[in-house]
Amino acid sequence: MAETILVVVEQREGKLNRVSLETLVGAQALAKQNGWQVEAVLLGSAAQLDEPAKEIAAAAVAKVTKLESDALAAYTPDGFVAALKAFLAVSEPKLVLLPHTYQIRDFAPKLAASLGSVLVSDSTGARFENGKLLFTRQMFQGKFSADVSLAGDGPHFASFQAGSYRADSLEAGSAPVETVAAAVGEIRTKPEAPFQEAKAAVDLTQAEIIISVGRGIKEQKNIPLAQALADALGGEIAASRPICDAGWLPMERQVGSSGQTVSPKLYLALGISGAIQHIVGMKGSKHIIAINKDAEAPIFEVADVAVVGNLFDIVPALTEEVKKARG
Amino acid sequence: MATTATAPQKKIVGGNFLIEETNPRDVFTPEDFNEQHQLIEQTAEEFSQQEILPNADRIEHKDFAFSRELLKKAADLGLTSVDIPEEYGGAEMDKVSSAIIADHIAKQGSFAVTFSAHVGIGTLPIVWFGTDAQKKKYLPLLASGEWVGAYALSESSSGSDAMNARAKAVLSPDGKHYVLNGEKMWITNAGFADLFVIFAKVDGEKFTAFLVERTFPGFSVGAEEHKLGIRGSSTCPLILNDCQVPVENVLGEIGKGATIAFNILNVGRFKLGAAAVGGARTCLANSIKWAKERKAFGKPIADFGMVREMLADIAIGIYAGESLVYRTVGMMDAATADIEKGSPDESKLIRKAIEEYAVECSIIKVWASEMFDKVVDNQVQIYGGYGFVEEYPAERAYRDSRVNRIFEGTNEINRLIITGWLLKRAMSGQLPLLPAIKKLMDEVMAGPSFAEEDERKLATQRKALENAKKIGLMVSGAASQKYMQQIADHQEVMGAIADIVIEVYAMDSVLARTLKLIESQGEAASATAVAITDVYFSEATSRVEAAAKKILADVAEGDMLRTQMTILRRLTKAEPVNVIAAREKVAARVLDAGKYAF
Amino acid sequence: MKILVCMKQVPQKDAPLKLNESATWVREDVGYEINEPDAYALEAALQLKEKNGGEVVAISAGPARAQTVLREALAKGADRAIHLEDDKFVTLDAFNIARAMAAAIKDEAFDLVLTGLQSDDYGYAQTGVLLAELLGWAHATIIMQVEAKDGGIRVKRELESGYFQHVEMPLPAVLTIQSGIGKLRYATLIGIKQAKNKPLRKVSYDEVAASLRPNQLTIEKLYVPKKTKQTEVIQGTPSEVAKKLVAKLRDELRVI
Repeated sequence: MAETILVVVEQREGKLNRVSLETLVGAQALAKQNGWQVEAVLLGSAAQLDEPAKEIAAAAVAKVTKLESDALAAYTPDGFVAALKAFLAVSEPKLVLLPHTYQIRDFAPKLAASLGSVLVSDSTGARFENGKLLFTRQMFQGKFSADVSLAGDGPHFASFQAGSYRADSLEAGSAPVETVAAAVGEIRTKPEAPFQEAKAAVDLTQAEIIISVGRGIKEQKNIPLAQALADALGGEIAASRPICDAGWLPMERQVGSSGQTVSPKLYLALGISGAIQHIVGMKGSKHIIAINKDAEAPIFEVADVAVVGNLFDIVPALTEEVKKARG
Repeated sequence: MATTATAPQKKIVGGNFLIEETNPRDVFTPEDFNEQHQLIEQTAEEFSQQEILPNADRIEHKDFAFSRELLKKAADLGLTSVDIPEEYGGAEMDKVSSAIIADHIAKQGSFAVTFSAHVGIGTLPIVWFGTDAQKKKYLPLLASGEWVGAYALSESSSGSDAMNARAKAVLSPDGKHYVLNGEKMWITNAGFADLFVIFAKVDGEKFTAFLVERTFPGFSVGAEEHKLGIRGSSTCPLILNDCQVPVENVLGEIGKGATIAFNILNVGRFKLGAAAVGGARTCLANSIKWAKERKAFGKPIADFGMVREMLADIAIGIYAGESLVYRTVGMMDAATADIEKGSPDESKLIRKAIEEYAVECSIIKVWASEMFDKVVDNQVQIYGGYGFVEEYPAERAYRDSRVNRIFEGTNEINRLIITGWLLKRAMSGQLPLLPAIKKLMDEVMAGPSFAEEDERKLATQRKALENAKKIGLMVSGAASQKYMQQIADHQEVMGAIADIVIEVYAMDSVLARTLKLIESQGEAASATAVAITDVYFSEATSRVEAAAKKILADVAEGDMLRTQMTILRRLTKAEPVNVIAAREKVAARVLDAGKYAF
Repeated sequence: MKILVCMKQVPQKDAPLKLNESATWVREDVGYEINEPDAYALEAALQLKEKNGGEVVAISAGPARAQTVLREALAKGADRAIHLEDDKFVTLDAFNIARAMAAAIKDEAFDLVLTGLQSDDYGYAQTGVLLAELLGWAHATIIMQVEAKDGGIRVKRELESGYFQHVEMPLPAVLTIQSGIGKLRYATLIGIKQAKNKPLRKVSYDEVAASLRPNQLTIEKLYVPKKTKQTEVIQGTPSEVAKKLVAKLRDELRVI
């Protein structure tokens, strides 16, 4: 019989998260390489699992299992580990793949360890090479990549970083859905309901999203255009030096050699030419999107995405589109 | 890179480097930092990076309230009280720690000056010369940063010649106060300091130090000076108008003010050297970053040979500066190691031990301030047009550096001190300079010898150093013979002799450090240090030769001059070193590390 | 509260790292520092001690050089330290490091074990959770706040997308601490002086070897990732550009 790859699918309040789908894609790719089969398991209360299980059942997997218990409605490491451990004893997969979310990293090492196994956390890919299963993961904060292998008979565990596979290439199919009453033992932690916090005073160095404006914004009265986009994206507004020197935005929002050095997930540069003194303050950003009407602007050298065009046309359209996407 | 090697224990005589061959094992180097030193370095460095540098502009705009706050924060960590005994609220540690702090606090010129005026010249006089009551009253306040200290020696008509002070002190009729009249000038921290060590002449004759609180009647502070550099530090005149100072606030003895002034300056000088090294390290980090980012002709300017040469020169200056500074404080620590903690004359013994190295302190002051000026100049050049505008750090560093050649005794005064001190010690027999000169002359007259080849590591450099020492002895002897007791009147000759002595101490320190490094880490790991040593020796030898020629041409003529020039040529004969390749090695290393990393 | 803080020594953030000859790890001739998340774990422990009293003990596994990390912890206020000293500890996988630490503290009764949420070198983010499993204690990860409550603790966990959650649990427990939970303190000069005389217990590899198992995770090859930064040009009418950008923000960057 073919070996099984089990994917632990994560749902929150009845909604699948994207990394789980990506992990399924990864599992499908590996399975195809070796003629293995993919199964999926979801944990939660009955009410939470119906919809996501249906969704997963429409993918090319051999089986979907709903591991149900009211005690699993709120995530706890004790509950999830106990339920999965019991389930793994029965299903005996060769490989367990998980999305590398905050929830997974909270319990997956414990689950693996409880079975005497080791988890390869935060992988960005996996492949069979000469019969050996190799996982790729970053080390030294991305300065190096490593190919790592796991010894022993398994089950082997690995979690995948968001973006390792493309969710839209999930192969469709039709799978049976089984329901298993989860075995949940003692739960020692008492979780309360998740909450959000009010935004604190501006600290650009901590911002995830920065919308930054340069001379291309032309006049102070155009600043709200950028502000609207920042609001729609839930980001902070920032600027290059000339804008702050002119007093259009406060100095604390200046990015560059004489201002803040930032490294957000997204740096959206609007009408910024990219003088070196600005670049040094933002080039560490994970993703840089630059909109500038000058195709030769140096900002494009550090940009991941370049849009050559008039920001006064593009920004309002983009703001609308973002609002639509956010619903 | 620091090793766990124990610090050298041997007690060295001041000025000894000129006479004897140095054993590297007797020399303290940054590689000998122990765990405590490393942690102090880390605290000082982190404090500078996180508290000082991000607020550089605020400091520069004379936000003195903020500078005081920063001092207080530094004090909370113990950074201001390393020279203060524990019983008076200090952190009390060795002089290596003291230098490490001066070195790593010096990231921003203005605050570095504020800091060192408070910690050094503002506080140390009380540590060393204060009565127990004075120490109890003032040191805890200064150690905690609650109060800020300042030091007032200069006047408008007396700077380097401090003993010509006009400020006067007269005992009040009831014998309870001295009444001070006069003015003081260029007083660092004056704008916000709480306690001043002020020098005045009792009855117009006896030069004496007083502890003057800001609130004493008759004391006032004039307007801020508008300065070329260190603009974020406070510099004002003081006005003493019937200023009433209680008699118990006389510091040290009446008429013994000069002893205080000179002793304090020794410490001020080695700390200035440490601060210059720290400033240079910051310049190097900035310059490297800039050179990698700034593009010309389609590539980073860090790829260009002449830019790399400048980067290498900065790194070489730092390496040599560290070698000089930490060697000297290491000698101080070895000399004071046996002094009993808490003994009544502890302070006095420490002060005496440090005074032994007065000439080394002066050398450090001159050498490091001139090194730093070259570094800031190179930095401006690397920044190009951006180096000339205020928005970038190069311009400010360029201005800030300049004062180092002026305060703590101008470099001219310090050169006179160096040569004068050595000649005085030679005359008194404390330093066997005269026998050494005689031995050299005998050797020279005997003609060239074919000594066995030196097979030790860096033999060429050892030889060059030995010859530089000989040149120093030769020209000192020749100049003394010519001018006898009047030599002090020939300042140019005194200065040129000092130039040689300074280079000898620098070469000696660089070589000792590199040899020690080779011994502890092997040759492969010391390759950059060897390259640095090569470049430094090549340049220093030329400077020594030039100074010697200048002296000889003045003190000898005819056959005598020709003979001496023959000897000089023999002593300076050497194959040229490939300094281009050596500098390239240094540049490649620092560019790879992104900072000074040895 | 008796607190153990696990601290790792890692290469300095700005160190120019080079691969070793077998390309399985980096060359050792670089500067080292405390793994930053662990520095925050220490800070959290010191704050807990200031509030509730008790003892803070720092533990580290690594070569002789790792002692620097422990001295720093002592200088900052830890009461004593445990050093599992051997070059071999560097090559252990996370499970074995957890086993070694669990063995080293088997005779002690800690209330709380804190670790940083992950290391800056391997980045496994597992040691704390594994320790919890080995010790049989409750745990929680990515913690922003800890307070004592009714004999146990109440912690604030960071969740994704700007959400947080409070969790209560009994002691003993293991927490992994998020970076940036407060300003890190400096080592004061007095602290540095005192650190010299604080107890530092050394544990040899042999003392814990019986608890270890063969490494299951092997680094086959370490390499510099291929540079993938190529500027993608997006063209079209403003509304086309806006649609393409939003697709990107949603599907690739996941910021929407």
